[in-house]
Amino acid sequence: MSGVLDYTHVTKDYGSPWSRRRVRALDNFSLSLERGEIFGFLGPNGAGKTTAIHLALGFMRPSSGGGQMLGKPFGDAPTRARVGFLAENVALYHLTANKLLRFYGSLSRMRPERLRLRCREVLEQVELEAEADRNVARLSRGMQQRIGLAQALISDPELLVLDEPTSALDPAARAAMRELLLECNRAGKTIFISSHLLSEVELICHRVAVLSKGRLMKLGRTEDLLVSRDRCEIVARGVPPGSFAQSQLSDGRVQFTVATPSQRETLEKIWALGGEVLSVNPMRRTLEDVFLELTNNKEAGA
Amino acid sequence: MRAIALMAYNFLRQRRWPVLLLFLWILLTAAVAGDFGRSRPAEGDVVFHAQQQSIYICIFSAFLAADALHTERKSRRILLLLAKAVSRAEYLLAVIAASAAASVAYAIVSALCSIWLGARSILPSGRIWELLPLVIAGTIISASVAVFLSTFLNPYFATASTLAIFCAPILFHAQRHAGWVWLPGFPFLVQFLRFSFKSDWAPNWMSVVATLIESCAFWLLASALFALRDVAVPLE
Repeated sequence: MSGVLDYTHVTKDYGSPWSRRRVRALDNFSLSLERGEIFGFLGPNGAGKTTAIHLALGFMRPSSGGGQMLGKPFGDAPTRARVGFLAENVALYHLTANKLLRFYGSLSRMRPERLRLRCREVLEQVELEAEADRNVARLSRGMQQRIGLAQALISDPELLVLDEPTSALDPAARAAMRELLLECNRAGKTIFISSHLLSEVELICHRVAVLSKGRLMKLGRTEDLLVSRDRCEIVARGVPPGSFAQSQLSDGRVQFTVATPSQRETLEKIWALGGEVLSVNPMRRTLEDVFLELTNNKEAGA
Repeated sequence: MRAIALMAYNFLRQRRWPVLLLFLWILLTAAVAGDFGRSRPAEGDVVFHAQQQSIYICIFSAFLAADALHTERKSRRILLLLAKAVSRAEYLLAVIAASAAASVAYAIVSALCSIWLGARSILPSGRIWELLPLVIAGTIISASVAVFLSTFLNPYFATASTLAIFCAPILFHAQRHAGWVWLPGFPFLVQFLRFSFKSDWAPNWMSVVATLIESCAFWLLASALFALRDVAVPLE
């Protein structure tokens, strides 16, 4: 194990061993985060994403297996000073934004002079410097979420663990949050994001893992997952419309997809028809397609 | 230590309204016992007021401490606290310190009221000052026991069990046994019930030392137990 965050064969069961309502939230889960990457953690409700995050932070103990965060076993308190965490449905104490950040910064063992400086910096980063002296209870849900992110950033952590960070944000705030996370990543932070917003994950994550019913279904580079190895997209011109099934015609160009094994045969057919091949590309899918394919297959299998 | 003090202060700040309301309650009971300054209270009334308040303060401390963990978990605020460089033992110590601090403030206000009542009947105030360390020690042990019990019981059961642990020895006449001083809370209850302005009452300082040792033991036990507990309830 040498990553920033390593899970090794982690299983987590809820409920007592003799209970009929015992639920397996994570099943033999292994994963390793590399330093400096943005990692997307996807899965439907009940997949075990939050459980995995809570295990890493030591809020709960695994039923079996274990792991390390920044080289120390899960739950090591001093190590958490180097980690920033934003919980799903963030719950904050009713203090002014400034006081709240100082409180959380002090719990991360920050020195008062550095903390004063960081409070200003992070409030600027989340664009809430004007709200520094307002009680967070009087801020909107989206603003509270941004204060939640500010408290995660306050100690300038090496690792950011964000559970649904954009769930309460409007599109503009979401774009700003995306930009902020990219900026943090450029500054060398490793970011672990659990999210339902697949388009967000697709835009910023270097790697993604898809979890379903506690099991890791897919893990890989976002680019690789979005490119289909089964089908390719062909654009041609000079072929009669209707020569190929489900083809679309626009500006005299015919566009259609074929199964990768029949690619050569299709290209020969285009040439035989007197057409010209403009492009052949592996078909690109959205993360949503991948996600639905994986989670539906799992459900069908179950 | 700074983190513990900050968390304790934060707990106290959150519970400032019930604490302030209790201060009003003390002033009201003192005013009633003193017949609103119209007549001199009888010695028995002053003794009863001091005894009653001493026991109330310990109950209040147990209630505050037992409720803290549950409230923090329910509101999910505990997640952001324990996500920082704070161990569970430090967190529990902050809860105990906050509960005890609120109760100490309550005890001091109560002592001042008892002294005012006593002064009106020309009773020695020194007795009340002697009672005060016992009350403070009583609040610390009741907070520690309540926190220990609240790591695995809901707050109502934790408070009820704390009171049962403190009162059971009296019901079973444990004062006949020589080792009674080591039972949590019990020595104070006995001393509170025997409190008087006469020379036959003297505080047992040994019980204060024993209590501080016991409080540490309960805190360590609670920390060990709490470290094994899942603090997060899954949302999914």
